Amino acid sequence: MTEVLGFFATSWLDPSLLILTALGTLAGIYVGAIPGLSVTMAVSILISFTFKWDVNSALALIAGVYVGGVYGGARTAILLNIPGAPSAIATAIDGYPLAKKGLAGEAIGLSTVMSVIGGLIGVAALALAAPLISDIAIRFTSRDYMLLGIIGILLVGTLSGESFAKGAFAGALGVLIGMVGLDPMTAEARFTYGSINLMGGIPYVVAMIGFFGVAEALIQLERLDTRPVRQAVARIVPAWGEVRRYLKVGLRASGIGTLIGALPGTGGDIAALLAYDDARRSTKTPETPFGQGAKEGLIAPEAANNAAVGGAFIPMLTLGIPGDAVTAIVIGALFIHGLKPGPLLLTETPHLFWFIVGNLTLANLFLLVFGLTGIRVFTRIVECPRAILIPLIVVLSAVGAYAIQNNPVHIYWTLAFGVLGYFLKKYGFQVAPIILGVILGPMIDANYRRAMIGAREDVGQFLLDFVTHPISCALSFALVVMLLARTPAWRRLRRARRG
Amino acid sequence: MTPSPGLRPGEILFALVLLGLALFAFREAHGISGFSGLTTGGAMPMTAAAVMVVAAGFILGDAVMRRRAPGAGPGATLRFLFSPRLVVFAALMAGYGAAIPWAGFLVASTAFLFAAVLILWRRGPLAAGAVTLAAIVAVWVIFRLVFQVVLPTGTLWP
Repeated sequence: MTEVLGFFATSWLDPSLLILTALGTLAGIYVGAIPGLSVTMAVSILISFTFKWDVNSALALIAGVYVGGVYGGARTAILLNIPGAPSAIATAIDGYPLAKKGLAGEAIGLSTVMSVIGGLIGVAALALAAPLISDIAIRFTSRDYMLLGIIGILLVGTLSGESFAKGAFAGALGVLIGMVGLDPMTAEARFTYGSINLMGGIPYVVAMIGFFGVAEALIQLERLDTRPVRQAVARIVPAWGEVRRYLKVGLRASGIGTLIGALPGTGGDIAALLAYDDARRSTKTPETPFGQGAKEGLIAPEAANNAAVGGAFIPMLTLGIPGDAVTAIVIGALFIHGLKPGPLLLTETPHLFWFIVGNLTLANLFLLVFGLTGIRVFTRIVECPRAILIPLIVVLSAVGAYAIQNNPVHIYWTLAFGVLGYFLKKYGFQVAPIILGVILGPMIDANYRRAMIGAREDVGQFLLDFVTHPISCALSFALVVMLLARTPAWRRLRRARRG
Repeated sequence: MTPSPGLRPGEILFALVLLGLALFAFREAHGISGFSGLTTGGAMPMTAAAVMVVAAGFILGDAVMRRRAPGAGPGATLRFLFSPRLVVFAALMAGYGAAIPWAGFLVASTAFLFAAVLILWRRGPLAAGAVTLAAIVAVWVIFRLVFQVVLPTGTLWP
């Protein structure tokens, strides 16, 4: 127990880690708030700069940016009616009407406190649930890991995207990108075309920066002329009575956020929308109607999206499958530092797990401080024109891509992935499954081949193993249900049952 | 899942391109080790490419079945995908990528930022120059001096 507390408090007691977490949280609030910048984009660029750092420093900064970024989107949603991040879309529905009534300060204060409460509940769930899940996951075989990888990619691709086929295409494209280079088992060249630059494969950070950074910058060019409307801000720190009054809604939304965040492939945006919907259904007599400035409608998505942060770390740390796009990138950061997220992470590197728990808690406390202060400076900075931000994102992406291996070819890859990502986004594809495919593809490949070799390359035995082993059977069942749930027949059946 | 909107301009053509890309990927994946074994280096790439082919088929089928917006044609597709602003910015990006190896990071980035901000922000060369200078100094200080990141050097200038 004392040992665990020591690991937990690492970033609290080390001044440099404390400063990095604070800086990360502060920077995250701005990144999340500035329309055009996203947490995923910032974290993917950050990884390329921090991979030479020690793992604790890199994680302290990344965790701060993540926590701050998820919250930051709410501020512009309230003040300018422009959600800085997808997770703040629901916040704008009631947050902006509150601001128009002259209650912007109160709205920001309440959303900050509820975000912190949600964030802390999510972290508590991570601390309690992760060891339990890890105990089960330790019995996983190669076959199970292969299934988990496939489920992870498909969930991200299908839950957040427009269609199952688009999600599956994006995920498979990512797997192919991840296969480029020499086969680690046989040294066979795969998609290298004799180029030395391709022999070592395409680093996933390059793909991340291209698909999330450059592609998003190109998409943002269309919104260059959007003009925000600024609101006056009065008192920010909310009265205790107000907090107590809406605590029940906040706690309920935090529970939803944690659960949704823990489901691979979902994340803060879906959690916020579901929590908003739940608040609307469960609040029988709101003081103000929903959509016109109901405080319940402001609090629920904010508590939920921050709770989803802790939730998203649960499958990432215990099973090695990310809960959302940011944790997909954090997995990449852990791999870069020689760590393998999964059931063994808790037994082999418990210090790292408890460090993450402690650091997320610390970041939430910094969020409370930064969230309730500096609002005037904030309103000026977030109005930075996109016309300046977009070229700057491209320059930062180039720096990030080059920094990985000091190879200018990676800059070209980043720009090319950016252009490809632009076309895919224009036609309703999600880019997160591509990144997951790049990261999880090699893991799926290696585990598939191990499992097949274990079955002596006998297809019958290989398939039989999926139903005779309990964990494989459960995962296969989940995969089959997931695939069936996307079929038109299933949808017809559900509609018929609803009457 | 996000509800599927109406047919976007050029969506059928894009789906056809994806199908072509997927078929090409399958052919290339097959070239790695063919159907010689179940655990060869080409097994997973072929599986992934096969998934792409099937998914692209469904995407194409879905696009064909969706209602076509009135007035959709090559012109609408070009307007949907390539706004003049995007074309100019993409050209600047390509020029930036090409310039880095010989001009180095500092010169190439300064030129790119200045041109891009000048065109997108439309506040005149003085304002664009000031913003460019501030951004380049900030990037240099944060990444080169603080993070100790090695920035690309050029063959003409370091």
